[in-house]
Amino acid sequence: MARYGLLISPELCIGCRACQVACKSWNQLPADKTKNLGGYENPSDLTPHLYNKIHYVEVPSDKSPMRWLFVSQRCMHCDDAGCMKICPSPGALFKTKEGAVAYNKDKCIGCKLCVAGCPFNVPRFDEKDKVTKCNLCSDRISNNLPPACAKTCPTGAIKYGERESLISSAQKVGYEKLYGKADLGGLGALYAFKDAPKLYDMVENPAIPETVIFWHNVLKPLAYVGLGGVVAASLLHYFVIGPHKDEKEVGKHE
Amino acid sequence: MSKMVRKASVAEILNHWVLAISCILLSISGFGFLFKIEFIGSLFGGFNLMKTIHNWVGVVFSVSLFFSMFNWLKDSLAFDSDDIGWIKVAGGYLSHKVKVPPMGKLNTGQKFYYVALLFFGMAISISGYIIWLLPGSRNWVLISHLLHNISFDILMIAIPVHMYLASIANPGTFRIMISGTVPLEWAKKKHPKWIEEAKLD
Repeated sequence: MARYGLLISPELCIGCRACQVACKSWNQLPADKTKNLGGYENPSDLTPHLYNKIHYVEVPSDKSPMRWLFVSQRCMHCDDAGCMKICPSPGALFKTKEGAVAYNKDKCIGCKLCVAGCPFNVPRFDEKDKVTKCNLCSDRISNNLPPACAKTCPTGAIKYGERESLISSAQKVGYEKLYGKADLGGLGALYAFKDAPKLYDMVENPAIPETVIFWHNVLKPLAYVGLGGVVAASLLHYFVIGPHKDEKEVGKHE
Repeated sequence: MSKMVRKASVAEILNHWVLAISCILLSISGFGFLFKIEFIGSLFGGFNLMKTIHNWVGVVFSVSLFFSMFNWLKDSLAFDSDDIGWIKVAGGYLSHKVKVPPMGKLNTGQKFYYVALLFFGMAISISGYIIWLLPGSRNWVLISHLLHNISFDILMIAIPVHMYLASIANPGTFRIMISGTVPLEWAKKKHPKWIEEAKLD
């Protein structure tokens, strides 16, 4: 099955946050108590009850002292997902057939390692210490419905579809370099940025933490190779060189 | 019936078995987490329960590791020229023809093993507590996760060697962790300096 994903175009976004509301509505998430931080962004960060959020960036431009950028922040649905790599519980985090990184709260053991493994600081934990985050509305997409955010977006700033056709449609309107096209095996959330990703407060060159990669590629295999190796070496020693035999005279007395 | 001498106190035997059993439970569940092995998860009543068991058995392990210092640290840090001789002949394990220098209560290999166990046991305990109790601090968790797994690999290599050498590779050794006593003749051969210094002869 073809991989599905989101194309996010900040240039089309009007900052209405209908996507935030639709996400809460579909996923039955309660409101968070927030406080006024002097901006329109609200809440200021993803929470256990907020899977998708518009980040408001204020930058100076040539024409006016202030330029507003709106970026949908959420789980990126990495192909090579750091959260899945580090997770110790089978089936807690998994890939849907559409390519979304979804989760099963019954299988989540609440260790929170996925928070450390994520290059984008996305996973959050609910009251029961279970992982929560955007799952690309996996219950909707498995029934051929677009995710709630994409469904409700009035300007097409969040589009859902086959990843390849999203890429070619963005390229047709001049976005040659899409953020997330190749990072981490290709992100499920693609961003059509007009400027450098840094301006949008996005991680430049996102990657799984090096310690996690070293652990996965070296330490994990070494655990069973090392254990198996010394058990084999002990057996070999026992049969080739043999145990200490200076027991003879002692043994007879016993 | 030959004369027996006490090599391990009741406290040492208890300390050893609490460490050994907690360590085995932690290693098995650790392998379950490392490779997401469903079968191991089911042995512990599912991965949720296995995490709780792993954490609390980890507490038992770290506390008994702390107490082990009162039992074995002093003897383990007492190195002398005979230890260098022991290393040169590899403890006599690679050939039965070499002459092994006289050993004290612990031989050189046992001293190295204890120091390594204490060091990496402390590393795996402290990093485990950080992963468990400070899940919000990303960099601490990543460093601890790395340290936890490096220590795990080293212990998974060292511990089977210890189990082999303390059982079938050295007949007569295992009873020290059961009754705590060994025949005087055996002790004189294996640990002559200990018998001499403690005047057990």
